[in-house]
Amino acid sequence: MSADYSSIRANGIYSLFTLPNPVILKSEWIAGNKHSLFCDENELVLNYAKNMVDRFSQRSFITNKDHYAPDYEHILRVGLPGMIDEIDTSLEVHKNDSDKTTTLQAMKKTLCGFSEMIRKYMLQAEALMSSPDFNKERLQFIANNCHAIVVGPPKTFAQALQLVWFCHTAFLMEGRYAMALGRMDRYLYPFYKADIDQGILTDEMVIELLENVFIRLQDDVVNICIGGQNIRGECEVNELSRCILRAVRSCNVPGPNLSLRYTKNTPDDFFDECLETIGTGLGYPAIMNDDVNIAALKKYGYAEEDVYGYSMVGCIENFVTGKQPPWSDGRFDTPRFFDYIFNNGVSATNRSVGADLCKLEDISSMADFMNVFEKQLSLGVDEYVFKFNSSNDSINQKFFAEPFLSCFCRDCIGRGLDINCGGSIYPSVHGAALMGIGTVSDSLAAIEKVVFVDKAATLVELRDAMNANFEGYGELRQKLLEAPKYGNNDAFVDKYAVWFIDCLGSLFEKKKTRDGGGIYIAAAANVSNIHAGKIINATPDGRLRSEPLSDAASPTYGRDTRGATSTVNSLSKPDYTKVACGSVVNQKFSPSMFTPEKRRKLMPLIKTYFKNGGQEIQINATSRETLIDAMEHPDKYQNLVVRVSGFSAFYVTLDKDVQLDILNRTQQE
Amino acid sequence: MLNISNIQHFSVGDGEGIRTTVFFKGCNLRCPWCHNPENLSTSPAVLTYSSTGKTETLGRLVSAEDILPELLEDKDFYDESNGGVTLSGGEAMLQASEIAPLASMLKENGVSVLVDTAGCVAYSSFQILNPFISGYLFDFKTADENKYREIGGNLEVVVENIRRLNEDGMTVWIRIPLIPNFNTSQRSIQAICERLSDIGIRHVDLLPFHRLGSAKYEAMGLEYAYKSQQPLTKEELGNIEAIYKAYFSVKIE
Repeated sequence: MSADYSSIRANGIYSLFTLPNPVILKSEWIAGNKHSLFCDENELVLNYAKNMVDRFSQRSFITNKDHYAPDYEHILRVGLPGMIDEIDTSLEVHKNDSDKTTTLQAMKKTLCGFSEMIRKYMLQAEALMSSPDFNKERLQFIANNCHAIVVGPPKTFAQALQLVWFCHTAFLMEGRYAMALGRMDRYLYPFYKADIDQGILTDEMVIELLENVFIRLQDDVVNICIGGQNIRGECEVNELSRCILRAVRSCNVPGPNLSLRYTKNTPDDFFDECLETIGTGLGYPAIMNDDVNIAALKKYGYAEEDVYGYSMVGCIENFVTGKQPPWSDGRFDTPRFFDYIFNNGVSATNRSVGADLCKLEDISSMADFMNVFEKQLSLGVDEYVFKFNSSNDSINQKFFAEPFLSCFCRDCIGRGLDINCGGSIYPSVHGAALMGIGTVSDSLAAIEKVVFVDKAATLVELRDAMNANFEGYGELRQKLLEAPKYGNNDAFVDKYAVWFIDCLGSLFEKKKTRDGGGIYIAAAANVSNIHAGKIINATPDGRLRSEPLSDAASPTYGRDTRGATSTVNSLSKPDYTKVACGSVVNQKFSPSMFTPEKRRKLMPLIKTYFKNGGQEIQINATSRETLIDAMEHPDKYQNLVVRVSGFSAFYVTLDKDVQLDILNRTQQE
Repeated sequence: MLNISNIQHFSVGDGEGIRTTVFFKGCNLRCPWCHNPENLSTSPAVLTYSSTGKTETLGRLVSAEDILPELLEDKDFYDESNGGVTLSGGEAMLQASEIAPLASMLKENGVSVLVDTAGCVAYSSFQILNPFISGYLFDFKTADENKYREIGGNLEVVVENIRRLNEDGMTVWIRIPLIPNFNTSQRSIQAICERLSDIGIRHVDLLPFHRLGSAKYEAMGLEYAYKSQQPLTKEELGNIEAIYKAYFSVKIE
């Protein structure tokens, strides 16, 4: 009975796919445009379809709506008709189970609608051929490709890319966001290789086709994964990886979120080209340490080949491609728990409430403090997971059926089950994005140093100072600021970062999602560290009220002042194989660090970082805008190093004139 | 004891690979364009930055054992990049005897050591360090005897030291700072080229003038003679490079 919802939903999706008139633009070689939804003349019909879909589409990021890497490999191999055949086969197998047959019929309906959508594109391309404004060659190309993928599996690279792009477009039409394109250099490679070998395709043409797709990813976060190792440890970078890199680079738009799965046998020339691309100011690809991610995922019991086939969704989240429900994650800010310890369980600056575990006066050693802090975190983790699971429990999973998406997840078709109702091979996982590893580590080190080692203040005095936002406590704040800071390869403070990951890793490890999947941790925050910081009281590291928390897995901005090697030495201490979701380390370098010669120094920096257990690094070539901002707000850029002609300097300590010299040079480069 | 001002990690300008640079205090030259004025004197330098109000004192006496652990921290990076430790200044060679044990310990730990020097010291100082050093980054400032004298140096000593280092099989990278109004006229460049060719030099690094050190002069309450000097334009740099290229292979830092 409940499976009936999937058939209603499928009708909505069918209408959504088939009613709008396809939009083909003059510049396109690859067709497929969600804008057909917005410029259709038959608004009434369209609204009806949209309403029908929306009614059953009230999932959100937290309840497995999107951030998904579809199983593109499969549809490319068997083709759209092949998928429909598979559904028919499964219908036969499950013919005595009415729920399953209803679910399968719903899936089939959406695929038929999808096929019809592609056919309409074909007809539209043919119709436009009479228009003098359009290039006939392109339209014929589109029409041929559409026809080919409607009647069978794609045979050429262009057809394969066209099919993938139609799938992505269909997901967008359903209202999804951050749908990943996954390992394009794997699933498209057989088509690429065959076409190149036959001489019907060149790398230039491949790049142009890819550009045609990537340029349309502007207001989205579409993860594309290149490189990585296979189960035998061989690096899988190929010619297509290079074409993807070049296409992303020439598009120069922020939508394609390119991720490199770096392995130690990644070819140096390819890695160098990645660094060169980063140096254009684009910031992509983000570089992931494949060994660490694989080790982290292996702990969750996935089959070996599925671990090695992982890709990323959204920003950095590690995902078992096409075999688990859509991703979800939430933010877990950690510095607020200091407030509960210092203020009897109630925040001094916002309405949040924690536990009142003990009197501040009763904490007489660092070990005591760590005990209380860990208890606070543990309660926080319980609360977080409870809230997360409640929001999922409030949903009737069957009511919010996902018939179209289910077609792209193994083994929904074979099992006759929806992606969120047991169809996927693996259960749903969730990422708890930990915020503030830098702020917490610096704070713990400052407490240890100032309160327990130097005995320069009591915890009560520290509380009064923080609650006064350090006004009138300048001297104490200075001492706190002078305590060792994370990111300078100082064991005194780095041990707390190690502890942070160990502690939270083991607290979350014990938790499960609604269907028994793991709750991973991430050391990432996007920009939530800024928003969270705004409402969090001053912290023991000397951070003022409303200043941002430390970003992602990075040290607090401006406090890692001892050079990039020291930063990296600190950052590689925590055990990131406990951080299965992934981490984000942002590093800024001046554009002069990206000359061919300097890249030969940047590369070993990153290689060493990964060899020593680092998980991720994303690098910004400091833009002109950043340099201008740094002149206006030096406090934010205490660690911004500029490197020129045998001399490095902290940008903000330089003369205005000299800063301008550098600014002008940046412009030249 | 070693008299140093600072240890800088991830130095990527001086020498091969990723390096850690130790800056030694005290210099026997007084080049008016110098970008490390805090290292001229052997006494601690106090720098107060007006922009941030921060004060730092640069100059401390340390033993080799004191700083060895810090210099070994980045060993993994040296190994991956063919990098190592650079001893700079000031004039590091003035502390050659004190440096020798440090350089020896670094060598024992498999760390390559380069010395950045202006080379206006007796060759005996080089002889002390040669056994432990993988090479010298050797500044050559002018081929004009009088101009060398103006900054407190001695052209013949410099040339002789380069010649003897080569003779002793030491690796020497000649580095020429390009200082407007000092050594960038065509005549000056020509003279440098001829003098260096005479002693068998085949490659030079060119270090274009920059005024990144000017904030440090201000922070020390000193007047910087080159405060208003504009950097060389791309065109000027191109012309200079062209002359050098007729004699040497050239790298611009």
